[in-house]
Amino acid sequence: MRRTAGRVVILLVLVVLAAFTYPGAILVSLAVHLTPSMRPSAFPVTSGGLDWLHVEHGAGTPYIADQEGRRVLLHGAIPTGLIDFWSGTDYSVTNTPPYYPIDPAAYDNGKCPSNSSVIATPPLCQKDIERMAALGFNSVRLPMSWSLLEPERGKFNQQYLDRVAQVVGWARAVGLYVILDMHQNAYSRYVGRSSSAVLPGSQTISLRYYTGAPDWATFTDGLPSVWYSNNREVNPAVMEAATSFWYDRAGIQDEYIATVARVMQRFKDDSTVAGISVYNEPWPGWDLSPGFEDLLLFPFYRRVIDAITGLHDGLPCPTHVFMPAPCGYPDLGVHDTRHLVFLDTGLLREITDFPTHLGLPVSSYPNLVLGMHAYTHIYTIEHLIDPHSKPQTANYPWGGYDQSYYWGEREARAIGAALFVTEFGNDPLLDSVELVAQLREQEMHMTGFAFWLWMENCGGGGDSKPYGVFDGIDCSTTAAEPSSGCIRPGRAVLLARVYPEASSDPNLTYSYDPKTGFFTMHATARFGDAPTVVVVPAVVTGSVTVGGAVAGEPSIAQTSDGGRIVTVFPGGGDFTVNVAAAPLAQFGC
Amino acid sequence: MPDRGATRALVLGLLSLPFGILSPFAIWSASRSLRRSPSTSAWIGLAGGLLGAVFAVGGIVFWLLLS
Repeated sequence: MRRTAGRVVILLVLVVLAAFTYPGAILVSLAVHLTPSMRPSAFPVTSGGLDWLHVEHGAGTPYIADQEGRRVLLHGAIPTGLIDFWSGTDYSVTNTPPYYPIDPAAYDNGKCPSNSSVIATPPLCQKDIERMAALGFNSVRLPMSWSLLEPERGKFNQQYLDRVAQVVGWARAVGLYVILDMHQNAYSRYVGRSSSAVLPGSQTISLRYYTGAPDWATFTDGLPSVWYSNNREVNPAVMEAATSFWYDRAGIQDEYIATVARVMQRFKDDSTVAGISVYNEPWPGWDLSPGFEDLLLFPFYRRVIDAITGLHDGLPCPTHVFMPAPCGYPDLGVHDTRHLVFLDTGLLREITDFPTHLGLPVSSYPNLVLGMHAYTHIYTIEHLIDPHSKPQTANYPWGGYDQSYYWGEREARAIGAALFVTEFGNDPLLDSVELVAQLREQEMHMTGFAFWLWMENCGGGGDSKPYGVFDGIDCSTTAAEPSSGCIRPGRAVLLARVYPEASSDPNLTYSYDPKTGFFTMHATARFGDAPTVVVVPAVVTGSVTVGGAVAGEPSIAQTSDGGRIVTVFPGGGDFTVNVAAAPLAQFGC
Repeated sequence: MPDRGATRALVLGLLSLPFGILSPFAIWSASRSLRRSPSTSAWIGLAGGLLGAVFAVGGIVFWLLLS
């Protein structure tokens, strides 16, 4: 009798394990793949004049498109002034309040709080958004912090959301899309800080770049908060806290999903918001790839999508306890079916520039975008092993810069998502190598980008320079300072590019030479197709010519910052748009 | 006397479900154990190993088709 009971128990364990792990996960992916994509809600008249974006699915890699079905390229940067970074000079004080005011009134009418080197980045003010538009950007990735959205469990900070809405309003005024970003780095700034390097080979940490979860959602179980090789994630306390999140300890994942739902409820009808990036740089904690991505991360993404769209792609499961891979999530009543949902790959992919798992369809929601972080030769494995290795002589990635993009496209196709570079950036001293190469890859693969980052104060310490588009500030003082130093002209010239913002030919090709300002684009379209729109930033001065099958002269509109918007009407067949080489305008400070 | 190989096969078979890479070892271990003396543990280990292998290979094929 006992032997029979034992056999039944073992068999049950087998069945439950199968349901909770790969067999269950793959069957749900198959079901999702076979489910007809939902029809997005009708696009209503937009309040701000920006088209709603969606993802078009065809023969190749899906792509971001506007209401007229034109392929849309998003170029932008990442201002970090809304992130809840730790601040101060005394590293033993870990629980510092938010440095910059949250009240939108502190930023009204062009006001901007003082900057200081005691925090990693300057405040985000209206002038910043206007300067982004002047560089020809059409989007901004806007990081937010869970710790400020829900500082106490169940208590949502409406004022912080008002502050986010304020920035969205600034963006709307200058025609920039906003990609909301649930940002985190190394899980939380509340992981604590051990006063000494208590583990062999470890170092005491600086909390300066730790951010994300609120204190109440950070479970470190008393593990020491130290790091190895200056890698903020390689920290036992961070590993434990991240793992606690993925296993939904004490229902913290449910709280996070509810927070995302509240954010999307606020912006549900706002087309200025292109979409939301659900979780920045997901760190597996103690889990390993590919199981982390397949059984924890992407199922979590599906649950967020279920919650905010009302889809039911996973199995109904109890919430507030560990939810295995096949589980979906209850409808939280938002019913947002018009925004893009950006899904960042696991953080380990930044190290490999190669898929760390074979991603399968995660949701039948059609507007998915795979967010790739491109940090080749910065965080890839050869540079972590030998920090003195040079990009020019590095022996990894074997496929060069293209490796990450080639595989990124395949990953996106498998998931049924468009591809977008949600982060890339580098030490400004390496712009001529790193930045040039990344931008070239983005042109070849027709991916948009969000540049990390708009402004930074003092860099990550040591020899590290601030990564921003602007020079940093004087870091030898903690006194009040202006928002930032001068724009870096060499960097701005690379980022302020001519590009086809929208085109009815998804397979067009183009290239831009930032040394001469020369731009050429080849496309094919039928007569009557929606026009192709090319952005020419103010720094580019060459004359615009079109050739081939176009209907009439192009319309060239001058923007308030001196840039040009070129609109070309297809005449049925192949056509080209060129911008002649000409001396580039100079950037002021 | 219970076969220790059967227990090994059972553990490997169960672990094959989250870690598909272990499935060949589970199948091999279970097959050897079953040849020595049939037992429920070995049979379940074999089932787990086969299930893990089928879904690992199936998942890879699925990915290749979609990507």
